[in-house]
Amino acid sequence: MSLTRRQALQSAGAIVVASGLAKPAIAAKDPIPVGYLPALTGPSSSTGVGINRGIQLAVKEINDAGGIDGRQLELITRDTQSDPTKAVNGAAELTRGQKVSVVFGPVNSGESLAVVPLLARTNTPQVHPCWVDSLTDPQKYPMCFRNAPTNQQIGGAANRYVLEVLKRKKVAVISDTTGYGTASVNAYVPMLKSKGADVVYQGNVDAANPDLKPELLRMQSAGAEAIMPWSVNAGFLSRIINTRGDMGWDVPIVGQTTLGSGQTKDLLEKPEFWAKVYPNNFRPVCYAPGGKLTDRTAAFLDRLKSAKIDMGDTLLWWIALGYDSPRLIAEAMKSVGTEPDAIVGYLNKLKGFPGVYGDISFTADKHDGYPDDEVVMVEANSLKDGAFNLAPGYSA
Amino acid sequence: MVESIVSTGLAIGCIYALIGITYNVMFSASRVFSFTAGTLGMLGGVLGSLFIARLGLPVAVGFLLALAGGVLLGIVTEIVAVRPVLKSLDQHLYVLSTLALALMVQQFTAIEWGTEARPFPRLFDIARGGFDQEFWLPMLACLTVIVGLELLYRHTLIGRAFLAIAEDTYAARALGLPERSLRMASYALAGAIGALAGFAGGEMLLAFFGNGPMLTFYGFVPVALGGMGNNRGAVVAGLLLGLFQQTANFLVGGIFASVAVFTVFIIVLLARPEGLAGAAVQRRV
Amino acid sequence: MDAPMTQVRPSRADTLGATSTLGVALPFLALLVIGVTLPLFGGGYWGVIATRACVYWVLVSGLNLVVGFAGQIAIGWVALLTLGAYTTSVLAAGNVMPSLSPYLALAIAAVVGAIFGLIVGLPALRLRTFYFAITTLGFATIVTQVALAWQSVTGGGVGVAGPIFPKPFDSQWGFYYFCFGLAAICTWMTANIAASRFGRALTAIRDAEVAAEACGIAKPPLLALVFLFSGAVAAIAGGLFASLQSYITPDAFTLDLSVLFFIAILIGGRSSILGPLLGTILLTVLPEFAAPLVAWSTFLYAVLLLVIVLAMPGGIAELLDFKNRRPLESGRAIVPRPELLDRLLAAPADGGAGALTLEQVALAFGGVHAIDGLDLEIRSGQIHGLIGPNGSGKTTTLNVISGYYAQQSGAVRLNGAALPVLERHRRAHMRIARTFQTPRIVGSASVLQNVMIGGTIDGKCTFVESLLSLPRHRRDEVLLRDTAMLALSAVGLERLAPVRADRLQHSELRFTEIARALMLRPAFLLLDEPAAGLSAEEIGRLGALVVAIARAGTGVLLVEHHADLIFDICHHVTVLNLGKNLAAGTPADIRSHREVVNAYLGG
Repeated sequence: MSLTRRQALQSAGAIVVASGLAKPAIAAKDPIPVGYLPALTGPSSSTGVGINRGIQLAVKEINDAGGIDGRQLELITRDTQSDPTKAVNGAAELTRGQKVSVVFGPVNSGESLAVVPLLARTNTPQVHPCWVDSLTDPQKYPMCFRNAPTNQQIGGAANRYVLEVLKRKKVAVISDTTGYGTASVNAYVPMLKSKGADVVYQGNVDAANPDLKPELLRMQSAGAEAIMPWSVNAGFLSRIINTRGDMGWDVPIVGQTTLGSGQTKDLLEKPEFWAKVYPNNFRPVCYAPGGKLTDRTAAFLDRLKSAKIDMGDTLLWWIALGYDSPRLIAEAMKSVGTEPDAIVGYLNKLKGFPGVYGDISFTADKHDGYPDDEVVMVEANSLKDGAFNLAPGYSA
Repeated sequence: MVESIVSTGLAIGCIYALIGITYNVMFSASRVFSFTAGTLGMLGGVLGSLFIARLGLPVAVGFLLALAGGVLLGIVTEIVAVRPVLKSLDQHLYVLSTLALALMVQQFTAIEWGTEARPFPRLFDIARGGFDQEFWLPMLACLTVIVGLELLYRHTLIGRAFLAIAEDTYAARALGLPERSLRMASYALAGAIGALAGFAGGEMLLAFFGNGPMLTFYGFVPVALGGMGNNRGAVVAGLLLGLFQQTANFLVGGIFASVAVFTVFIIVLLARPEGLAGAAVQRRV
Repeated sequence: MDAPMTQVRPSRADTLGATSTLGVALPFLALLVIGVTLPLFGGGYWGVIATRACVYWVLVSGLNLVVGFAGQIAIGWVALLTLGAYTTSVLAAGNVMPSLSPYLALAIAAVVGAIFGLIVGLPALRLRTFYFAITTLGFATIVTQVALAWQSVTGGGVGVAGPIFPKPFDSQWGFYYFCFGLAAICTWMTANIAASRFGRALTAIRDAEVAAEACGIAKPPLLALVFLFSGAVAAIAGGLFASLQSYITPDAFTLDLSVLFFIAILIGGRSSILGPLLGTILLTVLPEFAAPLVAWSTFLYAVLLLVIVLAMPGGIAELLDFKNRRPLESGRAIVPRPELLDRLLAAPADGGAGALTLEQVALAFGGVHAIDGLDLEIRSGQIHGLIGPNGSGKTTTLNVISGYYAQQSGAVRLNGAALPVLERHRRAHMRIARTFQTPRIVGSASVLQNVMIGGTIDGKCTFVESLLSLPRHRRDEVLLRDTAMLALSAVGLERLAPVRADRLQHSELRFTEIARALMLRPAFLLLDEPAAGLSAEEIGRLGALVVAIARAGTGVLLVEHHADLIFDICHHVTVLNLGKNLAAGTPADIRSHREVVNAYLGG
């Protein structure tokens, strides 16, 4: 169920009521404008909707606690509608019109491919969570930082799981036709081949295509032993899972984190279809082998429950990522102020920012902030209270 | 694989044929093609999913409500987009007015229902597999409509009245046939057929706002190839289209398949603009 | 008949012409000033929006000729934008070959766009309106799918970076001026075409195709030119779009964009440059005023389109057409001035005397013998009447002579040489002109423009010369305008020259058609029931006019029901019945012919 803006506002309103904090005195100083480019509507909006819940919560908490030196953080949102053109329009308006200090987003790689060069030209610091490798480049885009993993990190974990743990050799790689999907297939297929896998099928399919049977039949007749889908489109992923189930084809599905989202789960024809589905996820927000969460994550879950933020139709790590991002930016501003160069300088020296979903570190040469070893594979149908168990046999 | 191609191809061909028939019924009543034909198909699926899956109504009730929705859109098309422009000298205005209406319904659906393809409920609680209901439901719908229309046109007075206004509006009017009401009734009928197509095809096509433009195009191919107003031609052409498309899908995959279909369609149309079974139209001088 | 006016007053059209040119130019000048000075009062954000509007207008200006002027429903023109964007970006980025300068890439994209504009557009010549609209949608989808599939060149779903133009166009405002300049040039060029015989011919094809053919306008070459031009500028717009976006992916080229272009033209109004220009600006800017509206933008465009179609099909252009809101004088009389015909119909260089003959022409429609072995001769300088009951084959005969129908046997000869069948658009070149049973004119054009359409084939300038308003184009226009005013004065309608044709009375339209036919300086003039719907006094004036036309050397075939007119002015009369020649001879012979009296004239 997609989140309408009405619902988003309602949950924001609910946060105000539930938190019971008194309205803070209106600061005499100007608010700090922060630009925000989520995809809240459109075919690739599942990520954006999830992240948005976390962001709204974090900004509210920061502002309730007095903001940054008495200045409130003003989140200026421009919904990209999953459309790179609108993302460009939005980015132009945020930088030139609203004169924001920092931009967070876009959250989809296809949109970031267009926006990152644009923000670089306007000298606006940018933090984004998109995975496509080329979206950070400390030389070309010195002000652009990524507080999420790269395709290399993700693919590495997933490919390792398929080849070394599940011990499958013949692999089918499928994605949609978005920028993210295409870039992922282009990145992962060579990675698989270099590890000795036999890629028997690779394809990009229109995410809206209702009938994926032809594709899966082609995979099957090519002898695929594992299916690796890379898409953020819950409908697309659910259809792959459903078709596999309808065909009665017993192969593991290993791939994008959205495979485990509540949205995907709701679209399954039978709950048992969710077996043998292994999406990637992140250790800090998963159950450790003993079945326990880290203290930080448990506390975060409590905070979400008391703020009545719904997790059932999304993924915990998106909300966590959304929660961490404004706090990261606020930390920077508290330390060094709002000047772009100062913020960039601060970020270049960031070590171990304690995020709920992971500790972020940057250097001047490395603008990819997520640690390698926190990327893990999980078992989709172990979903409980927003968190997953690690996938069977997973030890790395 | 072959059985998948045949079953999917025939089923989807029936959906295309039904949309083609929708176009034809509207055309017969007004000599106008309406862009809303594909939108009706889309609504059949969306409304079916809305009433049955989302609101939990029983299948039969949801079905009737979906048809009612189609009838409503058909009537609105006639009143708002067709009737006002029939009087005008500008022949092309109907293309624009029906396009505008179709876009409005389309966008409204995209915003209110969402841009994601949502699942369509399983209508009959039978296990999946084999010759599944997602295949025979469209075929059954197509057969029912063809037989029903045949009976209507040949054996009922109102059906023959429809044929009369299709043949020659002036003569029909001179005979005292209420042209306007008949046209509205025709559009209502077309609306029901279009919604039926979308509903019967819902399990296959899902409840997706993007089905609108897709059906507008693919539903027109049977009309263009089978000849304007020719329902039998539309069915044959629709089935052939479905089979061709599915064969291409299975052999070369989605992207190339759609390019193949478009290219073949355009080439055939250029070779025979009146359709493979149609008659060339004389121009009045 | 009334005494004619003693001199040709400087026509109101001329004096109106001077002021109206300024009036027409004023809005464009205003936009020019606003556009040039935008950086002074608009922020960077509005600069992006304005640049986008300019880029869209570059495409829409060309598409305007296709949709607005030629009336072709090309909904899927975004295909050309996609093509131009990718061609420019790929060539500038150096994916397939060493990277080229962005200007060269843009120029190559224009050529590619022209070729594909032709490919996408040519089906219009074979297909009906709705079918053509659907095929353009198909092309739009094909181009997007190919962009997705051809990963090695286009990057597939990943996309490619757009071109960056070198200094001084690499800054935001620099690029804005670049796009603005191109938009201004496109405005100028398309305005030139609109005011040329090509623009008028396009509207003729759109609204009165049958009459256009009779004036010698051939549809295929004209549409081909327009598609080439439109494709080229659309591709250029694509290159600019890619640069503005800084990065393009296939999903940036949505159907919504195509619909925007299309609706901008229709909101603006057909046969207008200013209307679609304002429409484009409006549709680009509108969603930016309210961020919540952005999601509903296509819905609002569609509502706007529906409202325009139902309430104001003329669009913004009609709204701004103040000139045509002024009431016309009531009780207007048509007062032809036949003495002007000598100037108009000066004998052509190839002599004059000749004959148009039909020999045993036969044509049957199914089992009905429309014409059954007909012999007819029309001599220069003579008026030949053709009468008979309804369905006797009069109009069919006329259609055979003018090339719309092909006879199945027999021959139609002009000065002995057989006329080729079905070459209706060649008849004008042979100086055979005609009018129609129901006046076929371009309602949205002025009376003067309608008459100028008649002289289209006399123009000498090429499309490119019109595009660039070169001297030969301007000479053509002056000549056509003067000739048309002369023709209008001759038929008595010069006071109505600037009036939009759909405001005229039926009788005035008939005389307009005659004026249009006279533009060809016809050797033979075929009149199809010109007196229908005219008052008795107007019929008298019509008769005097036709007599004067014949006296100037033209051979006239007059198909009529008004027996009095026929007997008054015709030198010869042929009576048709059931496709056969019932009687032929002088009016006196016919009037007393018994069978004719029985079959047709009555006691």
